[in-house]
Amino acid sequence: MQEEPEMVTPGVVLGKAAEVKPGKGAYLAPYRNTEILYVYSSLAGVRRTLSPPPDSPDQRPVVEIIGHKAQGAVPEPGSVVIARVTKVMAKMASADIMCVGPKSVQEKFTGIIRQQDVRATEIDKVDMHLSFRPGDIVRALVLSLGDARAYYLSTAKNELGVVSAESTAGATMVPISWTEMQCSLTGQIEQRKVAKVGS
Amino acid sequence: MEDKPSSSPMSFVDQIVVPGDVVLDLSTMTNQTIKLGGGLRQDSDAISVMKAGKLRFSKPNKYWVESSQKRYVPCVGDSVLGIVVDSKAENFLVDIKGPALAFLPVLAFEGGTRRNIPKFEGGTLLYVRVVKANPGMNPELSCTDASGKAAEFGVLKDGYMFECSTGLSRMLLSSPTCPVLEALGNKLSFEIAVGLNGRVWVNATSPSTVIIVANAIMNSETLSGLQQKIMVDRLLQKIQT
Repeated sequence: MQEEPEMVTPGVVLGKAAEVKPGKGAYLAPYRNTEILYVYSSLAGVRRTLSPPPDSPDQRPVVEIIGHKAQGAVPEPGSVVIARVTKVMAKMASADIMCVGPKSVQEKFTGIIRQQDVRATEIDKVDMHLSFRPGDIVRALVLSLGDARAYYLSTAKNELGVVSAESTAGATMVPISWTEMQCSLTGQIEQRKVAKVGS
Repeated sequence: MEDKPSSSPMSFVDQIVVPGDVVLDLSTMTNQTIKLGGGLRQDSDAISVMKAGKLRFSKPNKYWVESSQKRYVPCVGDSVLGIVVDSKAENFLVDIKGPALAFLPVLAFEGGTRRNIPKFEGGTLLYVRVVKANPGMNPELSCTDASGKAAEFGVLKDGYMFECSTGLSRMLLSSPTCPVLEALGNKLSFEIAVGLNGRVWVNATSPSTVIIVANAIMNSETLSGLQQKIMVDRLLQKIQT
């Protein structure tokens, strides 16, 4: 399929549903009051057609719209993000998402880590204050798009959790187990849900 | 090895210290575990003061700085007097004179279940215990003691509540009994609840007793034990005549 540098605006018809499949930036909707489904564009940008893999049962090409502003990464359910904890409360912690995978984000995304998503075992006995503190950098998994205010994040795996934290004395802490980190200046031990880095 | 007297820790104990004073040098004290309370912080080998006040020491190894303020910093285990501000689905919002409102879970009462949740209006005075007090988070309270019994916690009905400094609250709660309370208790009968957050509640059968007790307590902050006793005697004499 050839590349078409065709500029489209939201609402433009990209094709019939029987002929093309909607990709990113496109959606299916019935034509006015009829039952015929068409593929419409939802973004303003350049239209691109992708050919289907030869062995899939559905042989329709995929049409997607590349928006001219889409450079920053956007968290998707299932992606691993790096976030900085902003607030710790009794039943949840708020965090600002900074990177999605290897790419940094261009706009502010907020995530929430609920008490039951901090770890996999004994989830009712989790003390949020002993798992995160404001200012910690955590690696988390996006569970879902959540509500209008924030994504839902989870640290319930060995490789997820606090990656870097500062002690009350102001020094960077060194992890010593999956629940403890030690201050490099004073030797005090503080409790966090620590991510397992490396093999 | 003899330390110079000016740098030995004993010389700072029970003295007024100001932020920046180095009160302990860990390099000269070998193999001791020291517990630091409020107002002290560790900078590698030196223990320095963060809050102005009196340095206190209790055997075997606890040091802390005691100071008196009007504002209260919530600490775990303190018994305080709180005023209900609002009630939400899961907990009551209670003002305890700290930097943030505290949460009192609706089930944190003796025999508390979802069926008998107490209804507190705004302005209700409660005697509660601080359960969790982490910096940056709202403190959490409870109306039971550590074992789950009610133990005098709960609503304080009638009476009169006034505010004082945290130092005066600590003096009123010290043991043996504070001289002003002892002198008042010998002649008058009243009940009193002291919160470490700088609030005191007094109740008695007649309003004049309440006023006498409240005024005597408020006057006693800067007086020594003997002066407190004399002040109370004079006050009671005036009433009788």
